Amino acid sequence: MKPLEPISRGSRIVLGALFFILFFALWAAVSFGGLVPKQFLADPLTMLRSGWELSTKHAFHEDVGITVWRVLGGFLIAASLGVPLGIAMGAYKPIEAFFEPFVSFARYLPASAFIPLLILWAGIGEAQKLAVIFIGSFFQIVLMVAVIVGSTRRDLVEAAYTLGAKSSGVVTRVLLPSSAPDIAETLRLVLGWAWTYVIVAELIGASSGIGHMITDSQALLDTGQIIFGIVVIGVIGLVSDYLFKLANQRLFPWRLA
Amino acid sequence: MSKLAIEDVSRVFPGVRGREPRALEPTSLAIEDNDFITILGPSGCGKSTLLRIVAGLDRPTAGRVLLDGQPVTGPGPDRGMVFQSYTLFPWLTVERNIRFGLREKRLPEAKQAEITARYIDRVGLRGFEHHYPKMLSGGMQQRTALARALANAPKMLLLDEPFGALDNQTRALMQELLLSIWESERKTVLFVTHDIEEAIFMANRVAVMSARPGRIKSDVRIELPHPRHYTMKTTPEFSAYKARLTEEIRAESIKAAQMAL
Repeated sequence: MKPLEPISRGSRIVLGALFFILFFALWAAVSFGGLVPKQFLADPLTMLRSGWELSTKHAFHEDVGITVWRVLGGFLIAASLGVPLGIAMGAYKPIEAFFEPFVSFARYLPASAFIPLLILWAGIGEAQKLAVIFIGSFFQIVLMVAVIVGSTRRDLVEAAYTLGAKSSGVVTRVLLPSSAPDIAETLRLVLGWAWTYVIVAELIGASSGIGHMITDSQALLDTGQIIFGIVVIGVIGLVSDYLFKLANQRLFPWRLA
Repeated sequence: MSKLAIEDVSRVFPGVRGREPRALEPTSLAIEDNDFITILGPSGCGKSTLLRIVAGLDRPTAGRVLLDGQPVTGPGPDRGMVFQSYTLFPWLTVERNIRFGLREKRLPEAKQAEITARYIDRVGLRGFEHHYPKMLSGGMQQRTALARALANAPKMLLLDEPFGALDNQTRALMQELLLSIWESERKTVLFVTHDIEEAIFMANRVAVMSARPGRIKSDVRIELPHPRHYTMKTTPEFSAYKARLTEEIRAESIKAAQMAL
């Protein structure tokens, strides 16, 4: 091994898969070997059996569907408001001066701590779930987008001015295209966080969703179902992350060229 | 009336703890139509500051710049600029980069395509129109930047050490390319450089700037015939200019080095 030396695609896949195999092997060893009692940690086979039962008998796909819907809904609302505000703040310093201190403060308000308050305001319906995700994502998106847009290369902006661009042209034809890949990258990151918020919201007050299934299983001491739920979240996260990455590569070929 | 008149332009940067470093002493320079002027000076003499003020990217502390009698108040497409750093828009292809200013002017699509194609040919980038800047060498990027500035049909071309980051061979080719464009299109050009040979080879006037605080120390007319070929750099006339300017620049460089101590 040498620092920063790249590896082949083949070895990358093998090494990545190897960790999953080792992880499952260790899990199987401690659960089958009796190192950890069954009621605390189900073994991989029990987990798969529980998962099969959940999917065939308890319509688990509906829970998954509703959770995905909540994440995407809350995330899209946060992004569609947060990205434009972030761009405006990054581009125009007075707007930044006006919003930045409050947004920086609001960013540290823990979204999960709002859940009791949101239940009071919005009940335990969908609005409350979307609100939790919104609070957790919106302020992060605004600040990160503002920083990205604000750090656009000055010499590119100057070049645009000498080519006859006006303020609006500089925003739409320089700041936006130059920031777009990093904004997309930020959204990919925040979507990952939104997944954590939705599960927390579902653990506390919900009658459907993956988080709700996990709380139900806890009451039944069914660790197999709990672990299956967690694994499903992980797999969905991995897939959505991969799709996001793929879309970014397609949308911004000039980055890779 | 001069094409460009720089009248008592000075620039003071806000200093650290009350010290106000004067980047540019009051400077005046008149540039005629079709002039090719190089501003030659050691690093840090304020020559780039002067060029940026002409471009409208920096404001003078005092004095003013007139282009065709009109005061310069900000950057505009009438003064095309090529920067030392590579400033092509990385998300646009060569063709789209050259088109940038034409789109800003809202020219009809066909007209944009026609002008762009002409300048792609002029700087020898046919076959690379659809490449992104990242895929191009430094020389090709600067050729694109030159085409992008020229496509806008500016009254003046401002160049801030445009070939400074290129290797010697590429730089020599770029100098000849720019000269041939100037000889055929007769633009008014203001070209900043610290390279003495480049300053003589390109210009019909060399303005030598002194080191900190910057001001124009001498204004040398270069009486070499056009069209110029690289072999000119070895003629006795060229060497005489070079000897003279080397002496002037040397004195300035020594002064700058002593001040830095």
